[in-house]
Amino acid sequence: MDDDPLDESLRAAAREYHRPPDPPREAMWREIERARRLDRARRPAPRRWIPWAAAAAALLALGIGIGRLWRPEASLEPRAGVAAARPDWAAPRVNETAYRLATVEHLGQSEAFLTLFRASVRTGSQERLASATARELLATNRLLLDSPAGRDRRTRLLLEDLELVLAEIAQLTPQATAGDRELIREGMERGGVLSRLRTVVPAGTTPTRGDL
Amino acid sequence: MTWNPHAPEPVDDRELIGRVLAGDARAERELYDAHVDRVFRLVYRMVGDSHRAQDYTQEAFIRGFRRLADFRGDSALSTWLCSIAISVTLNGLRSLKRAREREVGLEDAPAIGARPVEADPDLKVRMRRAIDGLPEGYRTVFVMHDVEGYTHQEIAATLGVQPGTSKAQLFRARARLREALADFARD
Repeated sequence: MDDDPLDESLRAAAREYHRPPDPPREAMWREIERARRLDRARRPAPRRWIPWAAAAAALLALGIGIGRLWRPEASLEPRAGVAAARPDWAAPRVNETAYRLATVEHLGQSEAFLTLFRASVRTGSQERLASATARELLATNRLLLDSPAGRDRRTRLLLEDLELVLAEIAQLTPQATAGDRELIREGMERGGVLSRLRTVVPAGTTPTRGDL
Repeated sequence: MTWNPHAPEPVDDRELIGRVLAGDARAERELYDAHVDRVFRLVYRMVGDSHRAQDYTQEAFIRGFRRLADFRGDSALSTWLCSIAISVTLNGLRSLKRAREREVGLEDAPAIGARPVEADPDLKVRMRRAIDGLPEGYRTVFVMHDVEGYTHQEIAATLGVQPGTSKAQLFRARARLREALADFARD
């Protein structure tokens, strides 16, 4: 089909289609470098939760073990029909549902927070509070990214983009300039984070915090 | 700006990738410098707007760096980066289209598809409109092949389709353009 080209006049016109200018290399690099710096800064953080998670798991296992030891003999007998009727996939399904619900709640809270943050960009009076809330959400975000909830590609991409925005807000200080806040707002707009959150979160399903 | 998509890549990508993955920030810049022109050109051809092309290009590189550890070397690094750029660009254009559709009131709706074909006699303008009006898949392949000079193999690797699909879409794109610009073709 390459031997069926357009007429020369049409080909020449096609080559003019959206003729590109020289790329703004330095301006683009500045944005990429900024995002990469944030990526590097947040990389060691995720591992901090692992010892806590391991300790929680160990505690849970210990509790289950003690519970079994103390359980009366009679109750060790499986109740007829119950064990047999429970399908193998029941437990993983419960886990998936729990993670999904936790993700939806987190995304709902993040959406409410970012909406308030965006509204407060002009006044810029609540950096400390915004930063603290962002750090809280960032921790949950990281837990979800490393959980089964992060296996879904679409959710993962949204959580990754959300992490970038939250990390930027978490670094805000009372000395931050209007330009700093505006950069964060632009980042939110560019990635469409807020609109994507609104698409994912069903209306009215999550509590809002009411403040930053 | 002269561009040849078949020109050999002057940088050893494997060595660069290794350095980037080892955390060498300077290697990131080198990798960016080696590929940014090609990626930006392609994105710009698709969007025709400097700001958006800039946004999508930098987003493509940011995602590329984040996922570099997943790059298996099945295709050239430039092809892999272009496939990310195309994905970012098409997603961006779809969001833009949805936003514009929401903004257009119902009373304006009938006017959207009814462009006055004969209104502008300039071939470049008519060609631009005709290419803009192609379905997304046809337009992407047409721009990559006939405008930017990619081969069907490269297009297939970039878009994740068979070369035959790329050829078929180009054939249909050209047919639509010939039809839309029939009066010019006869001249």
